[in-house]
Amino acid sequence: MSVSVNVNFFKPFIDGTANTLKVQCSTEAKPMKPYFKGQSNEPERTFSIAAILGITSPSFTGTISVCYPKPVFLGLMNRMLGEKYTDLSRDLEDGAAELLNIIFGHAKRVLNAQGFTLHMAIPTVIRGENMTSRHVSETPTIVLPFSSDLGEFFLEICTYPQQPQGPVAEEKK
Amino acid sequence: MFDPKTRVLVVDDMTTMRKLVMKICTDLGLTDITEAADGEKAWALINTEIKPIGLVISDWNMPHLTGLDLLKRVRADARHKAMPFLLVTAEAEAAQVSEAVKAGVDNYIVKPFNAQTLTEKLEAIHKKRS
Repeated sequence: MSVSVNVNFFKPFIDGTANTLKVQCSTEAKPMKPYFKGQSNEPERTFSIAAILGITSPSFTGTISVCYPKPVFLGLMNRMLGEKYTDLSRDLEDGAAELLNIIFGHAKRVLNAQGFTLHMAIPTVIRGENMTSRHVSETPTIVLPFSSDLGEFFLEICTYPQQPQGPVAEEKK
Repeated sequence: MFDPKTRVLVVDDMTTMRKLVMKICTDLGLTDITEAADGEKAWALINTEIKPIGLVISDWNMPHLTGLDLLKRVRADARHKAMPFLLVTAEAEAAQVSEAVKAGVDNYIVKPFNAQTLTEKLEAIHKKRS
């Protein structure tokens, strides 16, 4: 699969994830090698909880999701809140949304300073056992995996109708 | 630092963030902490509490009434306009910071943050107000 990728677009999401987990959850998250979904040698990744957020800009729309296996997410919440949680609950669910909000806030700040025009949105949280995701788009979804002492987790970013190639000025109303 | 009996109002639509901020406040010795899940609920609390709110720590992005709009209401009301107000935000673009300062925020904090950062911001507000 040959796809043109603007690395500058994805780097703020990687940096934002590492910084957010370091500061908010006292956890070192190390970025692993990114890849496109749908490759034959793609590792199978499942998750128990994910936060998903719509990305809107004048030139493209898309989604970003952060997906965690249950032990990883519980470990992050335990460190963030200083309590011992042993199971996912409604109270904890919005922690996934909040972490994504912070990650996206960082990326948005960096990218908008470069001339992108991203808007803040409201995340959705999904929860279940051994879930996988599929994006209904012709544009490849990029997976940004991370490792940590709690285990691995990953971001998925999918944009339509194309991979973001550079900033586009917003149309003035 | 603020008197331990200061009535603190923590406003955030995310339960986990309210828990986090309330825990840090408790660890700082503050004993009178109440919470609201959005700006409208916070405004109702501010107007109905028998004991006056002595410090507001509010998220910016919330449904119904944002933290910035709550701040503007507080500053526009003669009964509450001197209320110490800290805004917490995941966004820190220059225009937004400028808007918050213009609206009269005492200080703001950019997520992610840890206990030390929140403590320093609260100390700065207290010092400025003393």
